[in-house]
Amino acid sequence: MSSLDMLTLLEVAHERREPLTSVESPASPVVDRIRAAARGLAAFGHRSLLLIALLAAWEVAPRLGLIDPVFLPPFSEVIAAGWQLAQTGELYDDVSASLLRAMSGFLISVAFIVPFGVAVGWYARLGDLVNQLIEICRNTAPLALLPAFILLLGIGELSKITMVIYSCAWPLLLNTIAAVKQVDPLLIKSAQTMGATRQQLFRKVIVPAALPTIFVGIRLASASAMLVLVASEMVGAKAGLGYLIINSQYSFLIPQMYFGILGITVIGLAFNAILEALERRFMRWKAPVTA
Amino acid sequence: MTSVKIRFEHVRKEFVLRGEGGGPGRHFIALEDITLDVRSGEFLALVGPSGCGKSTLLDLLGGLTLPTSGRILLDGRPIAGPGRDRAIVFQQYALFPWRTAAENVEFGLDIAGLKAKQRLDIARHFLDLVGLSGFADRYPHELSGGMKQRVAIARSLAYDPEVLLMDEPFAALDAQTRETLQGELLRIWRATGKTIVFITHGIDEAIVLGQRVAVMTSRPGRIKQIIDIPDVLRSEADDVRSLPEFGRVRHEVWSLLRDEVLKAQQGQLAAGAGARADRKVEEVTHV
Repeated sequence: MSSLDMLTLLEVAHERREPLTSVESPASPVVDRIRAAARGLAAFGHRSLLLIALLAAWEVAPRLGLIDPVFLPPFSEVIAAGWQLAQTGELYDDVSASLLRAMSGFLISVAFIVPFGVAVGWYARLGDLVNQLIEICRNTAPLALLPAFILLLGIGELSKITMVIYSCAWPLLLNTIAAVKQVDPLLIKSAQTMGATRQQLFRKVIVPAALPTIFVGIRLASASAMLVLVASEMVGAKAGLGYLIINSQYSFLIPQMYFGILGITVIGLAFNAILEALERRFMRWKAPVTA
Repeated sequence: MTSVKIRFEHVRKEFVLRGEGGGPGRHFIALEDITLDVRSGEFLALVGPSGCGKSTLLDLLGGLTLPTSGRILLDGRPIAGPGRDRAIVFQQYALFPWRTAAENVEFGLDIAGLKAKQRLDIARHFLDLVGLSGFADRYPHELSGGMKQRVAIARSLAYDPEVLLMDEPFAALDAQTRETLQGELLRIWRATGKTIVFITHGIDEAIVLGQRVAVMTSRPGRIKQIIDIPDVLRSEADDVRSLPEFGRVRHEVWSLLRDEVLKAQQGQLAAGAGARADRKVEEVTHV
């Protein structure tokens, strides 16, 4: 019982600490709240220090003439241009076009490629059959295929979504295959001794054990989706953030161009935040990395 | 109590090692002519030098591999594969990290198709039995090594197997936790009446736990001798490790093992020298 006792003791000690400290400092709740807010603000400031400095430099450098303001307008002008774009409705069209393409391509890819990758990882024969093809395809840069896709599928939505699907496929596929193959053989052995059938083994051991590595593939795929989407929107499109960026540059509407770039960043961050939240939701059982 | 639960009849297990550089495989005999009876409800400890095929023996019992020749009978029927009449407790716990302690204990019941409510009741009962009542909702990474092994033991007991196979289950734990768990295991064994085959490389552990201790030889693994542990050492109350009888039995097992350990070490040294010679040859040819 030694370890057990230790643990409970530690827990008792841990719980005891909180009431003790609150008794020691009988400050009013308002002061406490202000202090907490200040501490939170300070923490945020500390973490965002570099970002704030960068934005400040962006604002100040063109104004002081350190950089030609025609080519790098101050941050505030970029935001103002974005505000105008939003008011004319142009921004909404571009963002929704980009989001639709990125999301549909990404989701289609996940829906088809993850199950396929699980199958390839699980059935060794299937793996032997497709490995060579996977190796060739994944080393063909998706952007190199863009002209071919445009020739074959036109410059409409089809070629762009296909590009996204294609570029998402490889990180998804490789990570999923690796995830299934890397499942700890001891867990499989353990489940088998408890009488798990092949199907149960698959459902109750392989899939949950593979999930974290599959998620790595999903995050990589989402980044890849944005990259390829912007590039393909620059080549031939009538809407989308990639189109906004390249078209603004051609029309010399430089603040709009920068706003388009910021838009891409924000969408990428939002994608990542959603995926991280999903990951936390599904993988609560994982030991925190910073423990 | 005297009926035979498990019977090994001239069991031999051979592996084909993959030859280096795709060359022809070398045969490796892990177990040779194992003949042994385990009585129903018995606690048998198997002790041997590392690499003597202890774990292979357990895999055979678990039905994870089949003997090259000879047979293993469980209740008179040959073992043909894994079955729910046997449970294995592994040294590395083998808990499912995505399941809580209770859900881990439920795994075997889940496989059997029991309803959630029933599963939870049984899981709680066995978590109580191993002294982890308050830890049902903890994930494995939140538990200490000793607690993980308790969960693993509860998990293997939960689906009520007749035989418990334990593969050095306490080897990765610190000395104090190990001793505590040895005591707990004996208590659980007395309470449940399971047949236990316990593999260890610790002489003390084998003597404290086993009613009989089977000493194995190194490569290929054979049963060298089986030693009956005298009743004085089976007392629940005494600190059996401090009895003079314990020292006598310990010396007996130690003497039996010493030769085997020496032999195993010599074998390893020879193998190491062989590998070095091979490498040298390779280097020469590459230059």
